[in-house]
Amino acid sequence: MATVLTGTSPKTWASRTWWALSVACLVAVIGILFAIFAFVIARGVPALKPEMFFTPTHGIAGGLSNAIVGTFMLVLVGLVLVVVVGLGTAVWTVEFAPRWGKRVIRFMVDVLAGIPSIVVGYFLYVALVELAGWGFSLIAGSLALAIFMLPYVVRAADVALTNVPRALKEGAVALGARPAMVVASINFPYALPGILTGVLVATGIGLGETAPLIYTAGWSNYMPTLAPTHAPVGYLTYVVWTYISQPFEASHQLAYAAAALLMIFVFLTNLLARSFVEYKLGGNRQRG
Amino acid sequence: MRKTLALTLAALLLVSAGGRALAATDLLETGSSLLYPLMNLWVASYTQGRSDVQITTQSTGSGTGISQAVGGVAQIGASDAYMADAQLKNSPMFNIPLAISAQQINYNIPGLNTSHLNLSGPVLAAIYSGQIQYWDDAKIKSINKAYASKLPHTQIIPIRRSDGSGDTFIFTQYLSKSTPSWASGPGYGTTVSWPSVASSVGANGNPGMVQTCQNTPGSIAYIGVSFLNQTDKAGLGYAALENQAGKFVLPTEGNIAAAAAATDKSTPADERLSLIFAPGANSYPIINYEYAIVNPKQGDPGKASELKKFLDWALSEGQSSKYLNAVHFLPLPAAVQKMSRAQVAKIQ
Amino acid sequence: MAAIVHAGDTARAASPAALQRTGAQAFLRVITGAAALLSFMIIFLMLFFLIAYAYPAIRFNGLTFLTSPIWNIGNQYGSGVTTRNGFSGPPGASFGALVFIYGSAITALLTMVVAVPLSMMVALSLVYRVPRAIRPLANALVELMAGVPSVVYGLWGLVVLVPWIGQVLAPWVTSHFGFIPFFGGSPGSGNGLAASVFILSLMVIPIMVATTRDVILAQSNSLFEASMALGSTSWQAMTRVVVPSVRTGIVASILLSFGRALGETMAVLMVCGAAINTFPQNLFSPVNTIAAVIVSQLESALTDSTGMAQRSLAELACVLFIITLLVNIVARSIMRGADRKEGQHV
Repeated sequence: MATVLTGTSPKTWASRTWWALSVACLVAVIGILFAIFAFVIARGVPALKPEMFFTPTHGIAGGLSNAIVGTFMLVLVGLVLVVVVGLGTAVWTVEFAPRWGKRVIRFMVDVLAGIPSIVVGYFLYVALVELAGWGFSLIAGSLALAIFMLPYVVRAADVALTNVPRALKEGAVALGARPAMVVASINFPYALPGILTGVLVATGIGLGETAPLIYTAGWSNYMPTLAPTHAPVGYLTYVVWTYISQPFEASHQLAYAAAALLMIFVFLTNLLARSFVEYKLGGNRQRG
Repeated sequence: MRKTLALTLAALLLVSAGGRALAATDLLETGSSLLYPLMNLWVASYTQGRSDVQITTQSTGSGTGISQAVGGVAQIGASDAYMADAQLKNSPMFNIPLAISAQQINYNIPGLNTSHLNLSGPVLAAIYSGQIQYWDDAKIKSINKAYASKLPHTQIIPIRRSDGSGDTFIFTQYLSKSTPSWASGPGYGTTVSWPSVASSVGANGNPGMVQTCQNTPGSIAYIGVSFLNQTDKAGLGYAALENQAGKFVLPTEGNIAAAAAATDKSTPADERLSLIFAPGANSYPIINYEYAIVNPKQGDPGKASELKKFLDWALSEGQSSKYLNAVHFLPLPAAVQKMSRAQVAKIQ
Repeated sequence: MAAIVHAGDTARAASPAALQRTGAQAFLRVITGAAALLSFMIIFLMLFFLIAYAYPAIRFNGLTFLTSPIWNIGNQYGSGVTTRNGFSGPPGASFGALVFIYGSAITALLTMVVAVPLSMMVALSLVYRVPRAIRPLANALVELMAGVPSVVYGLWGLVVLVPWIGQVLAPWVTSHFGFIPFFGGSPGSGNGLAASVFILSLMVIPIMVATTRDVILAQSNSLFEASMALGSTSWQAMTRVVVPSVRTGIVASILLSFGRALGETMAVLMVCGAAINTFPQNLFSPVNTIAAVIVSQLESALTDSTGMAQRSLAELACVLFIITLLVNIVARSIMRGADRKEGQHV
């Protein structure tokens, strides 16, 4: 249903007014979005100094290297967990599950996407930070992100694997390939762009999270280490949230710089995700 | 793809591992957001050019500071409030004062922001309970004879902290000590059950207090003294408060020091003492010790020794105005400094 | 943060029979099965754990948790404890969550009032009025909007939106439209219900627009053309024939956004005015939501040596968990129903 009605003029005044109103809404929404972008970029980009990428937060301001590396470590470790569990879940759902199994898994994973991040954060705080005694740590923070990112990866992998043409798989089996090999050599390469899109969407979400990290990853003004527990990790959203609350102008500058960086990272991730979608669907992409 | 991920991860970890000295001792300070700016100044200076010790500072709030120190996660729990008996019963901790902080009562009354209104505990309690609703209330006029004709018939909007805060603790302690009905009502704590006042607004952190007060004519707020430059820039007025001696005093350095001097002799060996509503003609009534909550029995001897060195430094060189002035804190009186260092010496 | 949008759900599934049963396959089956079981169990794990942890608070608070507007963690420096139903809390403690439950409900509902019509309008113009050449750009912008981190929305809300509401919008509205209930009274400081609804609307509009756009695009063009042939205007054809035909999909997407609005934390926390013990009096009054209060009160709760305050927050988390769980289950069930009945993918 992609007909564009620019050629056919609406028949009545009422219709024309309504359509004009709908376009006005679109313009207003995009306008506000631009206002937010402009605000973050105007305040954040001038505050971004090259040395911020190489120095950690220090004193009342300093740089952002610890927060940048920490953000990516939290997201990457989270992704490793998610990719293992999420791909496993998707493979089982597509290849092995009975009908009811497919339905139940897809349903539960979708519902998981709607659970508020603060609930996940509070659960992990009590369970891991307090009761298990791991303290603020990489693993607690990454797990929080992983639970949050899981639905996006499972869903994308599920769709991508489902869409692998049956003939391809059957052909491989007919040629004597073992099932595990079929999954590894036929299914995954074919579904890869779709899976990567899901992973990138999940990354974008993980990059911007705050609420589940405050009480799991904690915060550190040093470079993160390999230690999975008992060592807090810094991340960019914390800088935005906390440094805007300091009594110094330099701290506010750091917060704006972190906000601008976050926007840039999220923007790039989105761009990358979209480019995979274009690649996968080629020129047939009529919808949307 | 997993391989790519793993490789990227390994590379990142290498980069981050390379960034730090392998033999460094790590200390974690977490807690009070009021002490946080000073901690950052201290740590930056203390660790300058040293690779053998790393001190992480976190602004998480006093409650988190205490609980993380008790839990052994953090070596220093920063707190604006000393621990309660009930808390100490389960977990014996040292409460070590590091500096003296104060709090101002700010307001935004166009035309009066450059004058200092007189306010008392009972009047503030009545404002925050909704009993006094307008700035020209007779009770406010009676203690501000000079401005009686200038006080407008504007609704008062009391602003309070929405997050748990040491500022709320010391403000409500002032109300409790000066006003019996407040003591038996909401009482004091890092969060209290505020009386239901429809116009009252909660703000997040001290910057939220400054901003909300600035944006809202007719508002009143309690704000930590480290935000003095901000409240000045925002053009807010600040009040002279009634002290125990019945005198209205401003939060000047001299008046804060007077309050500290009036209480240093009564500081017990465990140093848990409220400095609020101190005796003395010139004593400013809302000041407090900023505490380091420390477990006296540190498991790790390496960490214990670095911890003691840092705290000792903060209690000697760290008391210099070079650090304290940036946040308008005051050094501890000599006698209290000595008591704090005696506690530090006992850490194992 | 974008809601998951199903596409091509029922595509060509490979028949398991095509794979031979070998040792490797059995191994793969067990490993992936374990992963699937874990994904399936996460929600139950979290829910049971939180309920078990909150149990003392559930007993201690009883029904007052749901009926009382007074949240008071009690006197931490007092002596003794209050004991109810065999569990102790600080003296004078009262954990009533009514203000926060009401606040979550009213902010999310008002967000729907603002965001649903706007999203429908935006989606319709995206499908029919944006020239083909710039449509990918418009779509990309809407999707990018869904990815903006909530602290960034909060930062903008705090620095730009709240002062504007407090100094411009609220005084104007209260003085000109004060006769309408809920519009009059004190204009407040800018922090409050209006700011929260504004920010939440910005956050859910992209989700609703994307889903609505997709369900309309998935609908067959013939309905629209038939309606036009019968003499409707293009607007009538759209709103009276096409949109009603995909209403289940739209309702599901509204519910998902509603769940999202209920659970949003940081941005609301930064602009809501954090009401405590008091209900909003008008559109500009401070409010508080369950999600925001968990973050802002955890710090104080940690000072409670009986631990009851922290467990009461866990009880709050349970309430939020169960409400959002129900909303999501209903939304997803509607989607599944729509999938089967209308043969389209939501």
